[in-house]
Amino acid sequence: MDSSLAVEQQRILASNWGGGKSPFGTSWSKFMMWIFIISDALTFAAFLIAYGFMRRISPAWPRQTEVFNMTLITLMTFILISSSAVMAMAVAAARAANPKLAFKFLCLTILGGLMFLGCQAFEWSHLIEEGARLTHNPWGVPQFAATFFVITGFHGFHVFSGVTILAIVALRAAMGKYSADQVENAGLYWHFVDVVWVFVFAFYYLL
Amino acid sequence: MADHEHEQHSISYGLYFKTWVWLLVLTATALGLGYTHLPEGLKAFLLICTTLAKILVIAAIFMHLRYERVNLILLTFVPLVLAIIMFSFTFPETLGTVTHLIQVR
Repeated sequence: MDSSLAVEQQRILASNWGGGKSPFGTSWSKFMMWIFIISDALTFAAFLIAYGFMRRISPAWPRQTEVFNMTLITLMTFILISSSAVMAMAVAAARAANPKLAFKFLCLTILGGLMFLGCQAFEWSHLIEEGARLTHNPWGVPQFAATFFVITGFHGFHVFSGVTILAIVALRAAMGKYSADQVENAGLYWHFVDVVWVFVFAFYYLL
Repeated sequence: MADHEHEQHSISYGLYFKTWVWLLVLTATALGLGYTHLPEGLKAFLLICTTLAKILVIAAIFMHLRYERVNLILLTFVPLVLAIIMFSFTFPETLGTVTHLIQVR
């Protein structure tokens, strides 16, 4: 073998990236979850920037307080933040090797997610009844309802996926096939869904 | 040892409860900002501040980012940096003469 190549190979193997080491100090599954969250955050960033762009070039944007039921939106925000806090406690219980408590907290988190989805279904059906569509709406520029349905729809689908993942993790915790890493990764995803809602709440409903 | 561990975990439950209360306070602040009649630029700036405060709290405490290595923490700033780049490339297009492209039907 070429000696310089062998030296190079030795150098790579000895480095942090040579294998057998964990440069980020996490399990592979947790690191993959972070990579997924980072890429998903970019999708939502693109949505929100596109929304800001379209709002800026519109002659007028409807007043959100006159279109949306802000009490319902505030309740939805409260539910999601609370479920995120309960999820953090589920991870703590899982780390403390207390599957029963973790299962209880996970069920509460799932309940929060289902309540959020229920509120969103109520909000959507109400707006659709009033005549809001992707192509037109009774309050102003078509982009108003289009961005609303795309952004909250995409977020709502994330909540639905989160509830599904949490249900699987909760079932596995109940069956005793439980690992704290699994609960933590599901938790990371759930907190991310909460973070996205914080952005949507501030920039779509309040600004 | 077991007692000490138990104590540790009850501390983290208390911390998550406190964090929850703080997040509700920040949400109430954002909601209050939404109802005040400030200039749009200032309102946007203040809302960005409360939102960033909220996501920092969620990421640091709920997502345990404060216990992670610095390289993972830096990695999570990538979307923020790329979003700022995308925003600064698209926002100038909305200024100047090319406004009001969208018509009300």
